[in-house]
Amino acid sequence: MSLFSVDIPLIETERLILRAPREDDFAALAAFLASDRSRFVGGPMDAPQAFRSLLASLGHWLLRGYGMWTIALRQDDAPVGRVGFLYGEGWDEPELGWHVFSGYEGQGLAFEAALAARAHGAAQFGLTGVISYIDPANSRSLALARRLGAQFERDGAVIGKPAQVWRHPKLEALA
Amino acid sequence: MTGTTIPTLETARLILRAPQESDFEHERDFYATEAARFVGGPKQPHETWRMLAMMLGHWALRGYGFWALEDKATGTYQGRVGLWFPYGWSEREIGWTLMPHGQGKGFATEAAEAARAYAYDTLGWDTAISQIAAANDASKAVARRLGAHFERIYDDPQYGPVEIWRHLSPSDLVNGGMEAYA
Repeated sequence: MSLFSVDIPLIETERLILRAPREDDFAALAAFLASDRSRFVGGPMDAPQAFRSLLASLGHWLLRGYGMWTIALRQDDAPVGRVGFLYGEGWDEPELGWHVFSGYEGQGLAFEAALAARAHGAAQFGLTGVISYIDPANSRSLALARRLGAQFERDGAVIGKPAQVWRHPKLEALA
Repeated sequence: MTGTTIPTLETARLILRAPQESDFEHERDFYATEAARFVGGPKQPHETWRMLAMMLGHWALRGYGFWALEDKATGTYQGRVGLWFPYGWSEREIGWTLMPHGQGKGFATEAAEAARAYAYDTLGWDTAISQIAAANDASKAVARRLGAHFERIYDDPQYGPVEIWRHLSPSDLVNGGMEAYA
């Protein structure tokens, strides 16, 4: 018998809950990953591939002890995106990643979620001064990285695809 | 808390245990070659790592999944056998993939019998299939040894046309299935 378990913490912000990915997030996730808006995060992909993405995000938590949360609205628990840490084969170091589903952009939700996830990672996972990989054409994400206080570090690559590497501040420096 | 308890099973020659990160290098090397062409390969290393994560996520979401196979005699990784049912799959499946060094020893049959018994006796499944690439003769031979029979061609949205093999049912096994002749 081997017990694989991980405490996926619940984080609350003003408008959001970051929580463990669940099977009932699948419809919203699959719709996002089927859309062209997912082109910067490995999409578009079909529903079977989206399900594998859900499986992999759970497995990432079990393998690493950290991973991507589902971003849900506090008011009704509706899934509106994903945020969290990724460090699989093909990554230089752990990354803070985010995406917000269609219809929820432009409200600062990704900023609110990324700020909370980043603070939690520094406090609980020993992940501080992390990077974000950002496609140079992803102007929304670049703007968010700037707003989070990250700085462009270099042109790099993740899983073989060119990406800019943005460095987040060490949180001690944020006071 | 999110997690899963992955039982350890034992057969005459094998331990079936939870997949772990140290299995990755074997799978990565296997998936780097054409030898993996019948099981979704070749894959890039990052895709293979993701597959390992997916296998653990499948346990967490479904309560069953793939076990890693360890040869009792040497403690080395031989491949994996498991119970698989992601979104879009035609039916609940018994699957097997052996590393090249684990092939030709009857390991897949031995482990799949244990996985089938777990599916029927512990999980309460009443049937199971295996999806097998038409040209994968070694895998079809395993299916035959398990007493499964070819049922139909299924046009899988990801893999294209594959053969569906139907396993012996729990009652076939009780009433003189292959186990009875073993």
